[in-house]
Amino acid sequence: MADEKRTPSPIDRVWNFFTSVKLAIFTLIVLASTSILGTIIEQNQPPAKYHQIYEDWAFALMDRLNLFDMYHSMWFLFILVLFTVNLSCCTIDRFPKMLKVVRNPRTKLDGNLEKTLSLSDRWKRKGPLSGWAGKYAEALSASFAKPTVTEDGGEVHLYAETGVASRFGVYVTHLSIIIIFIGAIIGNVFGFKGYVNIPEGESVTQVPVRGGVRMQDLGFTLRCNSFRLETYPGGQPKSYMSDLSVIDGGRETLRKTIVVNDPLQYKGIWFYQSSYGQAGGATAQVAVTRKDGTPLATLALSVNEPVPVEGYGIVRGVNYEQNFQGNGPALQVTVEKPGKPAASFWLFQGRPDLDRRRNDSVVFSFSGLSSKMFTGLQVAKDPGVNVVWLGCALMVIGLVMAFFLSHQRVWVRLSPGADGRVEVVLAGSASRNRLAFEKRFEKLQTGVKAVGQ
Amino acid sequence: MSNVILFNLTTVLFGVASALYLGALYARNEKISAVGTWVCVLAAVVSTAALGLRWYESYRMGIGRIPVTNLYESLVFFAWAVNLFYLVVEGKYRNRTFGAFVMPIAFFTMVFAVYNDSGIQPLVPALQSYWLHAHVITCFVGYAAFAVSAGVAFMYLLKARQEKAKISEGIVGLLPPCKMLDDLVYRAIIWGFPFLTVGIITGAAWANYAWGTYWSWDPKETWSLIVWLVYAAFLHARITRGWHGRRAAILSIVGFLSTIMCYLGVNLVLSGLHSYGGG
Repeated sequence: MADEKRTPSPIDRVWNFFTSVKLAIFTLIVLASTSILGTIIEQNQPPAKYHQIYEDWAFALMDRLNLFDMYHSMWFLFILVLFTVNLSCCTIDRFPKMLKVVRNPRTKLDGNLEKTLSLSDRWKRKGPLSGWAGKYAEALSASFAKPTVTEDGGEVHLYAETGVASRFGVYVTHLSIIIIFIGAIIGNVFGFKGYVNIPEGESVTQVPVRGGVRMQDLGFTLRCNSFRLETYPGGQPKSYMSDLSVIDGGRETLRKTIVVNDPLQYKGIWFYQSSYGQAGGATAQVAVTRKDGTPLATLALSVNEPVPVEGYGIVRGVNYEQNFQGNGPALQVTVEKPGKPAASFWLFQGRPDLDRRRNDSVVFSFSGLSSKMFTGLQVAKDPGVNVVWLGCALMVIGLVMAFFLSHQRVWVRLSPGADGRVEVVLAGSASRNRLAFEKRFEKLQTGVKAVGQ
Repeated sequence: MSNVILFNLTTVLFGVASALYLGALYARNEKISAVGTWVCVLAAVVSTAALGLRWYESYRMGIGRIPVTNLYESLVFFAWAVNLFYLVVEGKYRNRTFGAFVMPIAFFTMVFAVYNDSGIQPLVPALQSYWLHAHVITCFVGYAAFAVSAGVAFMYLLKARQEKAKISEGIVGLLPPCKMLDDLVYRAIIWGFPFLTVGIITGAAWANYAWGTYWSWDPKETWSLIVWLVYAAFLHARITRGWHGRRAAILSIVGFLSTIMCYLGVNLVLSGLHSYGGG
């Protein structure tokens, strides 16, 4: 047995390695310094872009080291695993010891313990020992915490503590990191992230994920009813929004207008307003009515695209002017009626009735150009995200416990003195913030000493 | 732009306060640094009023948002937080020599701010969120605490060299004892670290709500993690391995340098790699 103690077994050595704080500090520093690389080298860009920046040999080397996607590389993952193993081993190693100390506190102030405590005071009192013990116990209860009373060989020991939770703070914090990692793994395995563009009026049932490598079925249909962009007076985008409908089982089950920072969620899948753009060219909106005003048709004319109007002819939009002869936006259309030469004329957006002067069987009015937009949506399903938030909440709680609570302990020992008087020793210690505890101890000292005087 | 006039006045006051604190050290005169304290209090009032006024003015312009959304605003907010954090430390430790090392940080931050565009710009859609308030405020309280810690760490390094040489004269002789400085380096970090943690978490929550990813290894995110890791290393070294004094002071300064990199470097040096925050 003695030999074993002198030379630790290989298992012990491995265990000691993984439970050392030295390793923890080392991993923290290594994680911090290697993380810098990925902020200098732009991540996940197309190879062509890297070739522009780096020499061939540098590119080959960096590619070999996975530096273009380093946060997902095996070696970075290895450091994270090492970090987690270290964290777990430290917890397994130290938590039971801590628990033992908390459960079985040293309730007796013996000579050895007394030597380690920097805050202490001693005095003598006349009278019965048990009487004083009772008084001091009461005083401690009133101004600190209810003490545990231990009698041992004629001596009486009082022990009181507060803020014992502070001892758990570090474990709560460490556990929270592991929980966050578990949440991240759940999200990576069971979730997906994608991006999809949907033109106004169109629907999707699948979204491309992993950069378009795979199509993910949504399990329902998502339709973009319309898209709207609002700008500040200066022209910068103020807000953009998509009116979305979820169609599940043949009927609309949810409709919501989403903006940036206000997503839509259906069956665990989230849709985030991400970008927008023009889908195809612009169309001119033209209303066709009879002379008496009864509506006949509403046309959306693309450039030179023939559109038939029942019982009338074929209409084309051929030209558009932002400001035609000083009369504002105008659209030039041509009309081909069966058996007649094509006629061409202008329609003014600001003067919808002007076309009556043409004395045709129908009246055209141009209400403006409309460009069909598409909405760009981030799509995400992450069943692990709530686990991550649980971890985050625990981390904050753990840090507050560890840094702002202090395990404060106070002992009182009463022993019969040689001169027949009672010898009293008061001592205390705090796990952190000793300066604050010193002040509290001084107050306690004055209070306890004054008892019965 | 009356808020900018008040911020310029704040800059002058920070400069005056720094000069007074440094002058007090040089002349070994407590009275001068007492004036410095009052200048700091005045600067706190003026800069708070300026922030409030800027907030109000943004509403009058029809933009209406908290004044922490671009580089200028974040710099003045940082300086504001450093000044307040400093006043708390001065009050608690009853020692005015810290001012000579902390207030110049606030002053130079404001000088830097003056060279940036001070206009009130409308918010891009991505920043229009209530998370903005919680995220920016917690991050900057953390940054301010780290700034104070680094300033005190610098004091420690000066003082420790002198104590080693067993001299107690000169300017450095006025500095608080090493033990107190060492304690304060640590104490400022245990305030800053939880705030930074909450700042990173609220940022992640916001990112998740805005685009469905709580962590995407964006340079700003990564640098905030680097800062967090450095201070986590500091805390472990300090608490479990007993790193005190010189090594702890150096680690605190390294931590603050990485904070500056996270706050400014990412936007100025690595510009173009990320598009949000503005500061």
